[in-house]
Amino acid sequence: MQRRKRKNLGGIPLISLPDVAFLLLIFFLTTTTFDIKTGLGLVLPPASEHAEERVRLRDENITRIWINQQGIISLDEEPVSPEELESQVRRIMAQNPEMVFSLRTHRQSRYDNMITALDRLRAAGAERISLSTN
Amino acid sequence: MAKIKKKTKPEIIIPTAGMSDIAFLLLVFFMVSTVFVKERGLNVALPRAAEIEKIPRQNAATIYVDRNGTISIDDYLVEIPMVQNIMARKKMENFNVIAAFRTDADASYGIMSDIMNQLRQADVLRVSFEARQRGR
Repeated sequence: MQRRKRKNLGGIPLISLPDVAFLLLIFFLTTTTFDIKTGLGLVLPPASEHAEERVRLRDENITRIWINQQGIISLDEEPVSPEELESQVRRIMAQNPEMVFSLRTHRQSRYDNMITALDRLRAAGAERISLSTN
Repeated sequence: MAKIKKKTKPEIIIPTAGMSDIAFLLLVFFMVSTVFVKERGLNVALPRAAEIEKIPRQNAATIYVDRNGTISIDDYLVEIPMVQNIMARKKMENFNVIAAFRTDADASYGIMSDIMNQLRQADVLRVSFEARQRGR
């Protein structure tokens, strides 16, 4: 009996160590959220005071896209659906890869409408996009 | 006889000695990869888009805009004219800062335009409109 007692005093009990580790593991497993930020990137033009020179564009190199208050998209004064916008822009890009798309959204229009149009422009391969409002 | 006894004993024991090592390995992985969200932000319903790309977290400065047009940066409610100074300071701290808009899909576009004008004044030109993946 005495021998057994002495043995117990000598060692650190490691039996419950995995239990503790698993408990912490479960805690971190449940609290971890892989919150990856995703979005549509865009580079804004510099403010006019910073710009060395304002870029002048010829009219035939600009395609105007309007989004009105109700969220209706119009391309060159003609109302289009988002799907039509994408196919039209794809066609325009094939003709003129230098084309600048001016996306003008009404102030009262929903933000979602602008994102939809921007997304479609991106899907059609448009690189030069300018945002503006009235 | 004694030899036979020794042989049969290890067969019925599952080796659990390596289990804690595995547990610790996983534990360390999750401890390292866990990111505790540092700002509470505003409650927003993000728009959906198909052509989304990842935003590098270390460069992103999140601007929250909710459906009522309330703007929040670093958990401070800010007015539009203040955005320029705040973002200019962030630009000084990190030259490659990206303004990540976490805007509610129902917010009006006018406020976004105002904020983007402020960003241009602050010379923060890289922006990103946060959106969720939409199936085609």
